[in-house]
Amino acid sequence: MTILDVRGISRRFGGLQALSDVTFSVPKGQIVGLIGPNGAGKTTFFSTLCGLIKPDSGAITLDGTSIVGEKPHKVASLGMTKTFQNVALFAESSVLDNVLTAGLLRHDVETARERALICLDRVGLKTVAHKMAGNLSFPERARVELARALCTDPKVLLLDEVMAALNPVEMQEIMDLIRQLRDDGITLLVVEHHMRAIMAICDRILVLNFGRLLADGSPREVANDPVVVEAYLGRSAEGHA
Amino acid sequence: MKRWIAIAMFVLILAAVPQFLSPTGYWIRVFTFTLLFAAMAQAWNLIGGLANQLSLGHAAFFGIGAYTSTILLINFGISPWIGMFASGALGGLAALIIAIPTMRLQGHYFALATLAFGEVARVIANVWTPLTGGPGGLSVPFVPPNFAAYSFKQLLPHAYIALAALIIVTVIFEVIRRGAMGYRLRAIRENAAAAEVIGIDTTKVKLQTAVISGVLTAMLGTLFAQVAVFFDPDTAFSAASISIRVALIAIIGGVGTAAGPILGAFFIVPIEELMNDLFSSGAAGLSQLIFGVILIVVILWRPRGLVTIFEALRARLQGKGAQS
Repeated sequence: MTILDVRGISRRFGGLQALSDVTFSVPKGQIVGLIGPNGAGKTTFFSTLCGLIKPDSGAITLDGTSIVGEKPHKVASLGMTKTFQNVALFAESSVLDNVLTAGLLRHDVETARERALICLDRVGLKTVAHKMAGNLSFPERARVELARALCTDPKVLLLDEVMAALNPVEMQEIMDLIRQLRDDGITLLVVEHHMRAIMAICDRILVLNFGRLLADGSPREVANDPVVVEAYLGRSAEGHA
Repeated sequence: MKRWIAIAMFVLILAAVPQFLSPTGYWIRVFTFTLLFAAMAQAWNLIGGLANQLSLGHAAFFGIGAYTSTILLINFGISPWIGMFASGALGGLAALIIAIPTMRLQGHYFALATLAFGEVARVIANVWTPLTGGPGGLSVPFVPPNFAAYSFKQLLPHAYIALAALIIVTVIFEVIRRGAMGYRLRAIRENAAAAEVIGIDTTKVKLQTAVISGVLTAMLGTLFAQVAVFFDPDTAFSAASISIRVALIAIIGGVGTAAGPILGAFFIVPIEELMNDLFSSGAAGLSQLIFGVILIVVILWRPRGLVTIFEALRARLQGKGAQS
């Protein structure tokens, strides 16, 4: 069953074609990696999916409902939200309040608080629940982002580099969590620079370059695709590779 | 528990104060206006404190409130108790109309746009003579003293009505601050894009807050009209003595806290009156100068408001308690 369907999404910023005719669809319960060189349009693409950026053309369907042109809060209530790559927490609120606020989308304050504590427990941050979010370390803040997004009870979760700056143990924990979330029935799109992590957890990988979808396949297919290798490493001179 | 006892004591003290003031005197009037300004600053605090939008146009709602109930009383003999709700409705409508275009603005731009709306309201009240009486102002007509007609021989009942209003507005503020709407407003204040992405309808929440603040401020305008008895467009829609003063009271007291506007009002309104009282005979300008200096000193000393004095005291007491 298709949960997310993207047809011909394009977006131009002035002279830059940030997204160009991106088309793919995701069945429910997949972990899809989104990779590509810096500036390939990955973050723009996530922002477009969840309604922060309006595409110039194209269609986006979430679980059978067209969401193109809808505001982010509507998209969130329909079941898709994202984390922010550069971390956009409510810095002067406690960690718990950050996550609780997301729970208010579907629950009253008391239930949202209980749900928030569960989400914090899942990302391993229950012990810092009452700390001010702005006082946490960067990797911790990225995990609060993840807990907050989770607390909206999403069907589709877009994770923008939640593993940045994590140590190998923490990274393994988050990878396990992502798999658990998939097993819970959540569909995940994951932008990550750690190739090994991406290759390990993703069922499928999309490669974006200059706003264009370059490849779409299993981790093994994508890793061996010469077009992808070229995009990442540059054109290989014959006999040099 | 301690907190509730402290609040109950404070309310009792406020309720007792008018009993010690001469019922026909000058200070009961100052006390009543202090309570009204505290309530107005509390209504402003919803926008200025929780949403962190510095509105400098609240005189628009205040003036609409003062005029609406008074016009209804003059032309149709409608009791201001009922007129107050008409004031609230129109104030809410005005807040909605102003909020729709200004909501997207941030910081100084929002402040300037709201200031402009307040001034527009003042100009309209000055030129729409058939309705408002124009620059000549309006007098609240004499009605035989009677509670139902909101008419009293003395100021004492006005003082208690103002106290009740302050309590009601403060309770509304606190309920909003602690509830789901408070969480949403803090989220919007700290990161609007993130708030949207986790499902907060930022437009709707901001509009709701603006309307609640406008309704309350307009209803307080009715109370003001009943105490003042006479007002004109330049007083009811004043940028300096309504809009800016209300913002100033909340800021000096401590923005975003329930205690802030109350502390601010009890600091600013009596001091301003006292300065006028002390210096008006000798050097009229001097009172404003000294008042200004006091404000500057307070802001430099407590940039986050007078409430931080109590926070510091409490921290010190708890620190001592932990040591012993």
